[in-house]
Amino acid sequence: MNALGTLLLFPGGLALLLVALLAEWISRKLLARLQNRVGPRWFQPLADTVKLLAKEEVIPEGVHRVLFEFLPVLSLAAVLTAALAVPLFGVVPATSYAGDLIVTVYLLSLLTLCTSLAGLITDDRYAAMGGLRVLSQLFSYEAPFLLALLGPAVAAESWQITRITAHAGSNVWMLFTQPVGFVVAVIGLMGKLELSPFDAPEAHTEIVAGSLTEYSGRGLALFRLSRNVALVVGLTLVAALYLGGVSDPLAFAVKTLALLLVITTVQALFARLRIDQTIGLWWHYGVLLALGQWFLILIGKGAA
Amino acid sequence: MTTQPDSAATPKRFTIPIGPQHPALKEPGFFEFTVEGETVIGATLRLGYAHRGIEKAVVSRTWVQNLYLLERVCGICSHIHSLAYCLGVEKLAGVTPPPRAQAIRVLIAELERMHSHLLWLGVAAHDAGFETLFMYSWRDRETILDLFEQISGNRVNHSINTLGGVKFDLTAEQIVSVLKAVELMEERARYYLDLVRNDPMLGQRIRGIGTMSAAEAHRMGVVGPTARASGVGRDLRVEAPYAAYTAIPVVVMLETDGDLQARFIVRIREMFESCRIIRVLLDHLPEGDLQARMPRRIPEGETIARVEAPRGELFYFIKSNGADMPERIKLRTPTLCNLGSVLALCIGRQLADIPMLLIGTDPCFSCNDRAVVIHQAGNREKWTWEQFRRYGNEALR
Amino acid sequence: MRISTILGMALQSLFRVPATRSYPQERTPSPERLRGQLRWNPEKCTGCAVCVKDCPAVAIELLEVDKAAKRFVLRYHTDRCIFCSQCVQSCRFKCLSLSNEAWELAALDKQAFTVDYGRDEDIHALVEKPASTDDPPRL
Ligand code: SF4
Ligand code: SF4
Repeated sequence: MNALGTLLLFPGGLALLLVALLAEWISRKLLARLQNRVGPRWFQPLADTVKLLAKEEVIPEGVHRVLFEFLPVLSLAAVLTAALAVPLFGVVPATSYAGDLIVTVYLLSLLTLCTSLAGLITDDRYAAMGGLRVLSQLFSYEAPFLLALLGPAVAAESWQITRITAHAGSNVWMLFTQPVGFVVAVIGLMGKLELSPFDAPEAHTEIVAGSLTEYSGRGLALFRLSRNVALVVGLTLVAALYLGGVSDPLAFAVKTLALLLVITTVQALFARLRIDQTIGLWWHYGVLLALGQWFLILIGKGAA
Repeated sequence: MTTQPDSAATPKRFTIPIGPQHPALKEPGFFEFTVEGETVIGATLRLGYAHRGIEKAVVSRTWVQNLYLLERVCGICSHIHSLAYCLGVEKLAGVTPPPRAQAIRVLIAELERMHSHLLWLGVAAHDAGFETLFMYSWRDRETILDLFEQISGNRVNHSINTLGGVKFDLTAEQIVSVLKAVELMEERARYYLDLVRNDPMLGQRIRGIGTMSAAEAHRMGVVGPTARASGVGRDLRVEAPYAAYTAIPVVVMLETDGDLQARFIVRIREMFESCRIIRVLLDHLPEGDLQARMPRRIPEGETIARVEAPRGELFYFIKSNGADMPERIKLRTPTLCNLGSVLALCIGRQLADIPMLLIGTDPCFSCNDRAVVIHQAGNREKWTWEQFRRYGNEALR
Repeated sequence: MRISTILGMALQSLFRVPATRSYPQERTPSPERLRGQLRWNPEKCTGCAVCVKDCPAVAIELLEVDKAAKRFVLRYHTDRCIFCSQCVQSCRFKCLSLSNEAWELAALDKQAFTVDYGRDEDIHALVEKPASTDDPPRL
């Protein structure tokens, strides 16, 4: 019963979904205010989701039906599974095992893969372009994001999220010891979630809605939800690893929120990068920075 | 219009349609781009989706009624269309509008230029994925729309022109609010100029992209700010001054880089020039009547009227046979002159640059739509009436 | 080199009012010259019908009750009117004006868009002529 509650109600499942919608609202509202607009009311993301769920799902001609319907479910399942191992709301995660950091990061990537496939299986040319762009972005952002998360892991000498957070909680914030890693992690997260200015894969003035162009109704709702959940999971992960552990749930919530606000503000400030610029930026700077940071940590470890 | 590669297509290429319904274009035009990966190697343009038959409709309406129909050719530069029409008809009738009317016409035209450029800045920012700039510039544009509402009573189709003059006078209080708005606009324009010059991320999207040399601009016959950004100083306010421009010399804003950034900068610098013109106008606002008497029937004859719309040269041909309705009105809008250049500029660019390149010319489809005969290489032919009809019907479908 | 030129303005925006006007909760008086619904003063009208002829949208009909006594009813089609104020210009007897208050003109049925102006008895005399709500006649 208890385990089921953890999975379905709190901190996983329902609570996570609601918080994910809340995060979307906070982000949209802040973005609106930064742009001097009014912005949505608090229940708008929920209303959007309900509306989409209630709408007819159009399945375009020429797609693999099963795959088309299965992909959104798979992506939501993937991000919800990813949530199991991270300390959501500062609560002890549902599961913890050696190497769960890697598993979590790759479960998050499964969402991206599903999004890409969703575009590639349709006959739509915008969706196909979007799918290709999602893949290119995945390849360029995966490495720096993972490297950035490995920094704290190396410092804590463990691949297990709970151990790393425990280490992070008992030492100086890694934001200060590994600032480069933090920046790379935040930007990597934005790139991973295709947030502006790294939203070339769904640049709607070029390729309409990118790989999700053909999706409507339930499928679109599930993809949107997974995106939001992935945002919360990603924020939790970065906050837990870089912003001093999870010992105090309230402080942790504040830290995560602050991180969300920072990410949203960054979204408002820049013009969209072209896909080649997005990728170039990462292979030129991101990876090098992350690697450099990593070597520094290793040398530091060796010296100690 | 088409610039497609030879038909020996390799399998890696595929075509991306942009339009007639597409988020990058709020108006219906149809572009087909052949891409190899992300690089564009061919482009085709097809127009005619919003052909409204205005040139036909005007010949069955009176001279006065046409004023309002032609004002609605374009939703953004509504004043300049009716201005061109009025200038032409007044020339035919041999009527000179009183000086105060001419000054008010220019005042509205310059306010309209500013609001058009701000609107464009927003659209361009939106296409670059820079939503914040989009929101700001459209917010600032409201100031001018409010002015229009105060002066004429309507925000978009001001209908301030009438044959032989203008309908609405400027009150002292309105002059004060115009001056206040001009001050605000100057401040905002300074901010935007700094932004498009120095913002590094926006710079990545606009600097050195879509470069068009002066020679190319000449060859492709581009007009308006697009030409001025390439160093071609075409501006009818200087070359063939009309209305109050005869008394107020306009400084042509020129940029020589010819890239997208230059097109941004030219338009924003023109806002400063507009502000200056408005100040001079209001300082020397002539007193007197607003309207000269116009005959109901316009004497037989034909004439052309050219004005500098926010997007470039706007051309009207007007022919009267002495009746109370025109016999023929032909209009050519600046977008038509500029669109051809987009196709040439697109080749070899990234797909992501295309919406930006297109927007760089500030296209307005609703005003340029008409039948276009597509000449493909080696396929020159005359169209019969039957073929024209079929083409027209297909475009409607 | 600045990373973002818009940061300052964005942060300022947080403390600005996000809406120009929260219509309909908050109403400001409309500008004096706002062009709203047409108004007609029957006292001065001579029945010259210039307004009818000049209206580009065929929004005005002048119905005769008694031509000799200069008794007319002006049937105005709000839904066709484009608020261009040409009729106001054309009327040499200043019978027409555009109201700056009546600008919220949405209605649920088409009938509401056909307005008869005139003396009450004249309008009654016309009662048998039902208001036409068809498409405007082609020019
Ligand atoms: S305002 Fe214009 S459209 Fe309306 S009734 Fe008068 S002339 Fe006709
Ligand atoms: S123009 Fe004036 S006077 Fe003549 S019919 Fe119209 S309202 Fe009456």
